[in-house]
Amino acid sequence: MLTSGPVVVMQVPEILNVKEVRNFMEELGPLLESNRPRIVLDCSQVRSMESAGVEMLLRCLEEVLKRDGDLKLATLSPEAEVILELMRVARVFEAFQTCEDAVRSFNAIPADAVPQNTPWYADVFGELGVLKQAS
Amino acid sequence: MVGAIIIGDQTGAMENKQSPSRFSSYQAPWASMEVLGATPIARLAEDLQKDCDTVSVISKDRDSQHAKATHQASMADLAGDCFANYKREGLGTVLIIRCGSYVELEIAEMLNFHHEQGVGVTRAFSDDAPLDVWMVDLSGLPEHVATLATLLSTLLCARPAMYRSQGYVNQLRTAREFRRLVLDSFYSRCRLRPQGSEIKPGIWSSEGAEIERSARVVAPAFIGRDVYISAECLITRGSNVESNSRVDFGTAVEDSTILPNSYVGIGLDLSHSIVDGRNLLNLQHNVNLEITDPVVMRQNTVGGGHRQSWASIETSSMSLSSAE
Repeated sequence: MLTSGPVVVMQVPEILNVKEVRNFMEELGPLLESNRPRIVLDCSQVRSMESAGVEMLLRCLEEVLKRDGDLKLATLSPEAEVILELMRVARVFEAFQTCEDAVRSFNAIPADAVPQNTPWYADVFGELGVLKQAS
Repeated sequence: MVGAIIIGDQTGAMENKQSPSRFSSYQAPWASMEVLGATPIARLAEDLQKDCDTVSVISKDRDSQHAKATHQASMADLAGDCFANYKREGLGTVLIIRCGSYVELEIAEMLNFHHEQGVGVTRAFSDDAPLDVWMVDLSGLPEHVATLATLLSTLLCARPAMYRSQGYVNQLRTAREFRRLVLDSFYSRCRLRPQGSEIKPGIWSSEGAEIERSARVVAPAFIGRDVYISAECLITRGSNVESNSRVDFGTAVEDSTILPNSYVGIGLDLSHSIVDGRNLLNLQHNVNLEITDPVVMRQNTVGGGHRQSWASIETSSMSLSSAE
């Protein structure tokens, strides 16, 4: 398991059947329960995926979104791509060519850089924005 | 008198390992797969019966385990027997076709050419590429030609007259070429016609096919014998569902072929693919997958009168799960 700052990159097993899903979830489960989990799943090794595997991906996405985090897929193998398309879930996930791209996408707008008490329009309208806020 | 021998398998030296001509666990050549209601071999045999006095097909049966096991020996023996019979019957000329490809021939024209040339062997060519089609004078062949192997090696070593065929040819070497044959048939670019009746312009349906009212079939498309298309399905863009297959609720099939006896599960998006039981070949991504999840894809073992049978299977599986 690789970590890059707060983003966790995990390798998805070659075969995602019921048994492998259970093993993988034992590893992934604690991460999903953290605050704002940011996860990248490296799917380069995936050769076969059963409906249990697709269900697991959807459940993980649901969990991270509930906790204000996100889950992204990277380096999808052609097999994984075909299965996700076949099961109509390819568009549900954000997918990237490389793990680096996926990690970078989390940092595109660093959450910590934006003060939480400043309204979004303050940056756009400058002082006018501050005035607006004051009024 | 003209006889014809169709050798329906690619045993021999011409197998191209770079572009496999076979797909799925059956390891059957594309020419022996059902396309729009019948295999190219069956269609060729039917076509040849118009011009030839006797037509023999030597082919391993795709569904017969016995044929698979004894295939090597029986092929050669059968070819030898067939050849000897033709000689005995006094047939003057024999058309020999090794059916790895789909070829539309003008037999009468080729026969005239063969007689004009006066050479013992004539081979058909298309765009200068040799086809596995020969016309042979039986009297000109040596006596020792008794088996398939010796026959083919004799033909390949002979210096034949070159007959240039103007007819449609599809080499059927790859899955793409197989799909091209389907589309060429839909768009009338070849003589191959879908079997069954045209229920709407560009939509063919065979005997026993059942399409639920809420399912949509958009032309051109083919629904084969005893096929069941469930509610809310979409079959479109030149797709063909071959005999005794089932497409389950809400699944969209686009630019794809579903080969006989296949089950395609609920709510799927099947595009640019060929399905054979649990084998999926995606032509867009060039991926051959074996789907291990029977809920998604599997071999359809339910025969004709499927609606009743499926209902009973679903009921029994429901009661099993509720018992757990």
